[in-house]
Amino acid sequence: MDFAPSYTPEQESFREEVRSWLDDHAPVIAGDQDSPENYAKFRQLGRDLGQQGWLRPTAPVEYGGGGMGFEETVVLYEEMSRRDLSIPPYYDSGGWLGGASILVWGSDEQKQSLLPPIFKGDVVTWQLLTGPEAGSDLAGTQTDAVRDGDDYIVNGEKIYVGGSNGVDVLWTLTRTDPDGERHKNLSWFMIPADLPGITIRPMDLLGDGGEGVGSGVKNTVYFDNVRVPAERLVGGENNGWQVATTHLELEHGAGGSVARNLWFSRALDWARERQLNGRPLVENSDAQDRLVEIYEKTEIQRLFGIRNFWMNRTHQAMTYEGPQSSYFRKLSGLDITTALHELFGPYALTNDENTDFSEGALDSYQRSAIVSLHPGGTADVQKVLMARRIGMGRSEAERYKAGKTVE
Amino acid sequence: MDLSLTDQQEMVKQAVDDFVSRDASIETLIELQQTERGFSDDMWRTAGELGWLGMLIPEEYGGSNTGYTDAGVLFEALGKGPVPGPFFSTVLAGEIIKELGDDAQKENYLTRIANGSLIATLAMSEPDYQWGIAGVQLIPTEDGEDYILNGEKSFVYDGHAADLIITAVRTGSGDDDISLLLVDTSTPGVSTRKLEGFTSSESSVTFENARIPKSALLGECCAITDGLHAALMRATPLLCAYQVGGAQAVFDLSVQYSRDRVQFGRPIGRFQFVQNHIVQLVIHLDSARWTTYEALWKMDTGRETEAAIHLAKAVTSDGYRQACNYGHEVHAGTGVVREYGLTLYTRQSRSLFHALGEPRYHRKQLAKLMPTLQLDDE
Repeated sequence: MDFAPSYTPEQESFREEVRSWLDDHAPVIAGDQDSPENYAKFRQLGRDLGQQGWLRPTAPVEYGGGGMGFEETVVLYEEMSRRDLSIPPYYDSGGWLGGASILVWGSDEQKQSLLPPIFKGDVVTWQLLTGPEAGSDLAGTQTDAVRDGDDYIVNGEKIYVGGSNGVDVLWTLTRTDPDGERHKNLSWFMIPADLPGITIRPMDLLGDGGEGVGSGVKNTVYFDNVRVPAERLVGGENNGWQVATTHLELEHGAGGSVARNLWFSRALDWARERQLNGRPLVENSDAQDRLVEIYEKTEIQRLFGIRNFWMNRTHQAMTYEGPQSSYFRKLSGLDITTALHELFGPYALTNDENTDFSEGALDSYQRSAIVSLHPGGTADVQKVLMARRIGMGRSEAERYKAGKTVE
Repeated sequence: MDLSLTDQQEMVKQAVDDFVSRDASIETLIELQQTERGFSDDMWRTAGELGWLGMLIPEEYGGSNTGYTDAGVLFEALGKGPVPGPFFSTVLAGEIIKELGDDAQKENYLTRIANGSLIATLAMSEPDYQWGIAGVQLIPTEDGEDYILNGEKSFVYDGHAADLIITAVRTGSGDDDISLLLVDTSTPGVSTRKLEGFTSSESSVTFENARIPKSALLGECCAITDGLHAALMRATPLLCAYQVGGAQAVFDLSVQYSRDRVQFGRPIGRFQFVQNHIVQLVIHLDSARWTTYEALWKMDTGRETEAAIHLAKAVTSDGYRQACNYGHEVHAGTGVVREYGLTLYTRQSRSLFHALGEPRYHRKQLAKLMPTLQLDDE
């Protein structure tokens, strides 16, 4: 076993290449990460990465990806995270997830036209999954698409969408056969965000909705007789659930991660800096116990992430591991907020600029850990998925079926 | 990065699995549990012949010295059985002798551990129980070239089966002033008694004017705490691996039972409350598995291991215990019928919970590391 990436001389020289490239291209970011000026810098870095094939390193070169292997990708991710940057360096999980589905389900023409703008960083894509009537029950969507000549007319509403810095493409799941059998009545569209009849309005929510720049704001997207060209239908009419299965799997944590949850090192640093009765807080036995709780949760999160990253990139058969990692991250996130609250007391709940020592991070995390319970499927949905994938209470024949589709 | 087992490790795993399915059926294991010794001498002999006891012993003493992860794979497979016997106790004793013994002691004991002809264990704790060297209060008296021992060691794993008991004694007034004596259990005045109850294989060892030659001192008098600590730490993840194997077996049993057991006209695994038990179980199992194997990997690759080992023991001993609790929730009445087999694991999850220190002890050790802990990637 080897828990660390091992590097060949070729990979080490690739690392040097990435480092020197980032020295030239990584932007200097000051102040609010989410400001329009900083967002523009992150977008430019995305386009520059796209030119290198590094924005979507494992995707085929012919569609604008990097065509890179597992170990090279690890080097790239490591060097980005060393500079506190992610790939992509801005909120584009719609591009990440939608791109994966188009690679599997798109026609040749669709792959040629839709993928390069995503993989080159020219467009930002949002995913539109949840509706007011369809949360965990995604297949119960009441957003309708009705064929009319060469177009589909889309009407409906999706919520908890996107971020604060604008968007180019929206993808969504619509109902194309209201009377059809469940899971066989849906269609999946890539929709230009500037079509007439689309309205995007920010929602008033508790706090930060996820990770990455621009994700602090979530929106409601309204479709009012939006005319979508039929060529934007991916995977065929009434096959949308199959298309969604591809990205839902990724969203349920199957992709894994080699990145560490930063909350332990943050808490440790602050506990070493802050004082209690004239001594560093970290020397206090109760404080140490709270740090151990955070250490334990974040280490297990990291190990589940590494396992999934390795399984995913080396094409091991995965069953429950994605939703397990997702479930554990969500629930242990809440435990970590409790430990932080006990460790730093009421400081955990304020971003008052004259009082807070964490530049808003502690206050933000107390909220975002709660908000994070739902995106990508609620904690309960993750447990349902695990039960199905493990095959609890299922015969062999049923397990085969459960392994093929995600209901 | 590669989290798969090597071919060599797959072979070890297969060999133990074959052995278990051939010689260690649930019926056999339940029968063994009722016996005084608690394990089978045939099984022990087989383990010696197959080289399982020498995996961490240098080749010059007849071992194969293959590494900690390989040994971890062995212990996981044994724990999955669960194969009872003084495997871990003997390997732990080997680690201590390897660390502290002189050449003659290594030659004498390691060779016999490697070939399966010596059962050994460590006796640290005493009736005033606490884990660690602070709990060592037995004071020998000196008589010429001998020490005379009077007193008791409690909760000694496999003491009743051991030929050799490495006995910790207090030989000075300082906190760290302890010494280790290599005590042959045939020495007059040494007696052992297996403890009754829910515990799996713990014993009480009594010394009545037992005369131990000073030549039986392991290492320098009063300078062994660092060596003892190092050996205990290195052995800990192997005990964890044994617990991981047990938790894996409990998971497998529980999933199968969720399919086979029908109530209200459907398999119970279709009920979400039952599903939740198995969901929680597999989180404990995988947390135990990956903290344990990362600690083993760090040992094999010369990385800093202190925090990883404490973490693994805390997570794994908690995890095995909780895995069994959830297994019992799934199995309900069936789970407590002895012949079903679940309780073989439950019993070990309890008995090994405090072996080498309970989870709270290890979390306390982790806590003490916090002021100076360095993260790997910094």
